[in-house]
Amino acid sequence: MFNTTIANLIGLSWWKKVSTAIMFVAVLLFVLVWILPLVGAIFTALRPLQDLRAHGFWSIPQEFTLENFAVAWDLGNLNTYLKNSFIITIPSLLGTLTLSSLVGFAVSQYKFRGNMFVYLLFLSGMLLPFQILLIPVFTLSNYLGIYNTYLGLIMIHIVFQMGFCSFFLTNFMSTIPSQLAEAARIDGCSEFKIFYKIFLPLTKPALAALGTLQFTWIFNDYIWALVLIRSDSLKPVTAGLATLQGQYTTDWGVLVAGSLLAAIPTIIVFILLQKYFIKGLTMGMGK
Amino acid sequence: MKKIIIFTLAFCLLLSFGVAVEADSLDGELIIDAYTSDPAPRAAMNEMVETFQEMHPDLDIELNITAHEDFKHAIRTWLASDTPPDVFTWFAGERAEYFVRNNLIRDITHIWEEEGLFDLYAEGYQRESIFDDKAYFLPHQTYIWGVFYNQEIFADLGLEEPETWDELIEVNETLKENDITPFTIGSRYEWTTAGWFDHLNIRINGFDFHQEFVTGEVPMTDDRVVKVFEKWKELIESDYFIEYPASYSWHEALEYMEDDEAAMYLMGSFIHDSATDELSEKLSFFPFPAIEKSPTAVEAPIDGYMMPVHAQNVEAGEEFLRFAASVEGQQNWVEDVGRVVPNPNVPEESYDEETLRERELIDGAEGIAQFLDRDMEEDFAITMMGYLVEFWENPEHYMDILERLEDERQFHFEQ
Repeated sequence: MFNTTIANLIGLSWWKKVSTAIMFVAVLLFVLVWILPLVGAIFTALRPLQDLRAHGFWSIPQEFTLENFAVAWDLGNLNTYLKNSFIITIPSLLGTLTLSSLVGFAVSQYKFRGNMFVYLLFLSGMLLPFQILLIPVFTLSNYLGIYNTYLGLIMIHIVFQMGFCSFFLTNFMSTIPSQLAEAARIDGCSEFKIFYKIFLPLTKPALAALGTLQFTWIFNDYIWALVLIRSDSLKPVTAGLATLQGQYTTDWGVLVAGSLLAAIPTIIVFILLQKYFIKGLTMGMGK
Repeated sequence: MKKIIIFTLAFCLLLSFGVAVEADSLDGELIIDAYTSDPAPRAAMNEMVETFQEMHPDLDIELNITAHEDFKHAIRTWLASDTPPDVFTWFAGERAEYFVRNNLIRDITHIWEEEGLFDLYAEGYQRESIFDDKAYFLPHQTYIWGVFYNQEIFADLGLEEPETWDELIEVNETLKENDITPFTIGSRYEWTTAGWFDHLNIRINGFDFHQEFVTGEVPMTDDRVVKVFEKWKELIESDYFIEYPASYSWHEALEYMEDDEAAMYLMGSFIHDSATDELSEKLSFFPFPAIEKSPTAVEAPIDGYMMPVHAQNVEAGEEFLRFAASVEGQQNWVEDVGRVVPNPNVPEESYDEETLRERELIDGAEGIAQFLDRDMEEDFAITMMGYLVEFWENPEHYMDILERLEDERQFHFEQ
């Protein structure tokens, strides 16, 4: 592998070598620009507020401390908020994937009257901007008595994310040949078993890709949490972190340290599932 | 029959026992929603609630602190829900009145009467808390706006706190001769400019006119308003301010004071919370100097508490308000945050020299302005502050800017 690369380089024309070098430098530059905010965040999280105030954001830190992380975790209630985030995200994720894979199976594999209508209904749900739903959803959840509960937030996440997921999974499942289902049916397999034993395993890469995406979206949601949750003890990490923002003064070190801690779960999920994520996104592109 | 009588008697006994217990101690859940999300006020709020908890150990208190900006929007949905908080933090004046007009707030006149607040609290506080002769708002703490200056620079140059406009100009000129910018200001978030408008307007046209102005009934092209902008233009064109204020947030502009490049900042006393300890020690303040009116009115936004109409635990909520009105409920805000509180029985020793001076100014004021974006209808105040920033960039076009602002005012208030 290495040898062939070298051989290729030697065999390449003069111009090709230069363009590769330019490409490399350009990519490096983009990476640097991309990573700059993160580096800034890490430095801010590591310096005490007095240092930041005296010298400004773009100065070289004079002293380092890990105290911000401790304060964010303890006084900033990050431990509660992170726990809440998982209590909200995991059921939402499971609910969305379960329901929308059922929708995808039904819409893609059965020919029935109104099939297209159901499909379009989910599609239009996906196109609806969430801003216009804020007040109706608030009123509804207040009416149902699930306002300011985990359940209220989990339900809206499931319903709201189902549009996109159903659309995605319907399209994916319609690429699975229906003969597979027919063969199983002839052998006496029940309809649910066809879904469970044949289609679901085949959809795994798509589910993993969707799962990663949905986890990030639901975990990072802020606006629904703000509208539907009032109690500090129920807030997910996004809404919780925001409470560290002051009217006139904000302890930026603590806020940024908290944000860095809050980003860790998303990064872990992404690293674990990235293989599927890329595969899922590019699936069907080669046809 | 006998059975029924015994049962009724037993029931009455049980009931009276229940009542007796309740009179001594509060129980149930008390929900307090607060916007005290800055570091120092957050700590003070926590401490205050802890003290209250110790007084009522059976009470299950839930304190929810939300980011200040988000709180202002979210409180509207909270108040509309079936499960609103029992007590929430809010602003005095027009912002409080807005909720009162919409019938969302519980009348707390009886608390004011029972605690003797009508006699205790200074006139300025009452003016901002009582609407249609009923008290709806419990003022709890405030901070003054004034010119905060670096005492060291003033001492080095032999300057004294200016009391009149001419003295202020003299101070500015001396500072400029010594290569120090007189005033710093950061107007990326536009509200800082409104501080200048408020003070100039109050000092040129008086507090009563300012109160009339914030209702939106005065045309922007009125001679008195124009005069404010002419005076203001003088200041900007004499280079008494740092360059490009719109590129800084208010605390970024504070760095000019940290580096001794600027000497003064028209700001609220929360400036101490954002300054380094080193600068904070050097800071002192003087009230905005007299122009045509002497400085008897002050600008001091008041924070306090209100109770929603649908509060669940009214009894506990009212008890919390009583506590918030008392010396014990206010003292730690003076000692830990450096706020001024309305209860005059909070001992002078709790205050430091500077805040004591603030208190005297506030208690003796003919009126307390709440800052433009709290006194005026919120939407219009935001529009107006945008124009103020534009004026700052192009002071020579002030007439044109005022004419356009007048169109906005007519569109907003006369529809």
